[in-house]
Amino acid sequence: MSRSNTEIDAAARVPSWISEASALLAKDIRAELRTKTAVSAVGVFSFASLLLVALATETLKEVRTVSMLRLPDIVTLTALEAQMRPAWDSPSKMGLLWVLLCFAAFAGLSHSFVHEEETGTVTALRLSMSAGAVYTGKLVFNLIVTLAVAIAITPVYMLITGMRLGSPFVFISVMFSGCLGLAGTATIVAALAAKARGTGALFGAIGLPLLVVFLILLINAANALYTVDAPLLRLTKDVGGLFSFGVLIIALSALTFPFVWEE
Amino acid sequence: MATQPKSSYANSNRSGSQRFSVPAASALQGAGWKWGMGLLMTYVIYGAFFVAEGAVGFGQGGDKARIVFFHVPCAVLSSVCYFVGMVYAVMFLVRKRDFASDAKAAASMELGFLFCILATVTGSIFAGVQWGSFWNWDPRETSIIIMLLLYASYLVLRGALSMQPEKRARLSAVYAIIALVPAQYLIWAVPRLLEGNHPTQVLTKASNTSLSYKLVLYPSFLAFTMLFVWLLQLRVRQMQVFADRRARLESENI
Repeated sequence: MSRSNTEIDAAARVPSWISEASALLAKDIRAELRTKTAVSAVGVFSFASLLLVALATETLKEVRTVSMLRLPDIVTLTALEAQMRPAWDSPSKMGLLWVLLCFAAFAGLSHSFVHEEETGTVTALRLSMSAGAVYTGKLVFNLIVTLAVAIAITPVYMLITGMRLGSPFVFISVMFSGCLGLAGTATIVAALAAKARGTGALFGAIGLPLLVVFLILLINAANALYTVDAPLLRLTKDVGGLFSFGVLIIALSALTFPFVWEE
Repeated sequence: MATQPKSSYANSNRSGSQRFSVPAASALQGAGWKWGMGLLMTYVIYGAFFVAEGAVGFGQGGDKARIVFFHVPCAVLSSVCYFVGMVYAVMFLVRKRDFASDAKAAASMELGFLFCILATVTGSIFAGVQWGSFWNWDPRETSIIIMLLLYASYLVLRGALSMQPEKRARLSAVYAIIALVPAQYLIWAVPRLLEGNHPTQVLTKASNTSLSYKLVLYPSFLAFTMLFVWLLQLRVRQMQVFADRRARLESENI
């Protein structure tokens, strides 16, 4: 035997990991279309929280105006702006939408790996494909679920809260970058939590702290989006900063996923 | 028992604990380290009140600013500990089953959590007396509370896996590397995105501090770093004792 099995495996694997990943993705999508577990979990969770948000923010809707008689004698400009600008503006609405989507994603996306562990199919998966293919397949599946839910939820949310669209291209860039970061974080955290055979509480406890910075970057990008005539440089910097979060998380996840996957 | 080979954890039982050995004591380890740190820290505590002159521009003759000697080193260490822990986490993954690295990573993260709490508490006291409010959502206050959360979630993950040491080491190392993404945004991006009232250049510009101030501040950085190294050694040794004892108990039970 001139070549060891691992060498032959490696030679056969390099061109085939994309087909392996797409096979896993097709399997996941077929299973999802049969049971609709992830979409219904994330979707119902989102709509229920949407209802809660709509009720909770009902009183915030009225636009505050300043009565000149009630102003104190000495008014600084920032104090005046603070009184005139309603706190419940579009960037805050965007922030709340993503808080909602983060919780929804964490309610539903753990399913992708936990299900494989619970049914024991994880061993078959480990035998039949490389770690890179598994990671890619699961990441793309989670990204599709996140995008689907975001596309379904956002218009309803905009109708209820009156969140503005801003520039359509920038809006779509922000939403896509957000979905990328969320799906990237949820995928690697789901893999960790499934290996730890953790409960949903563990999944949230190790996942949500990673997302706090993501949310700061997102609100920052939303601020740029809703600034009238924002310079291109600021838009690129802020939306690009949000996009880079997802890219970095996915890059580091891809590097470290084999260590999670091995037994 | 004492001469058990290092490769023994590869074939130890499934839930078995992982024994490891740290290298033999060097000149810098042990009592010398402890006494050196102790003397320097004593000087820093004395110097903070009797050597350094009061800082200009702070109330009560600058007495309020004396907390800087303890707050700033803690705040710096709270992020240094993270990087030390992460380097050991990477070392664990690169050298397979090097459980001494895992223990060092875990100990470093625990100490980072401790220094993070100390920096938060001292910072909050300083903010309370200086800015009039104990919490202001200043960028650095935001950063440190997120850092605290990241450390806590690392420790939660380790706690959830406490019965499976091999898996615990592997998964927590991965988590430490993933959490580098938010951590580096906290250091580079968040302070530039949010408006704040923390001074950014007061201590980094040499001309801003008087000689008496430097005579305390610089030793303070050294003393706190030595404190970190000493505590790290202690904690790693303690983990080693625990792992040994557990391995012994398990081998007796079988």
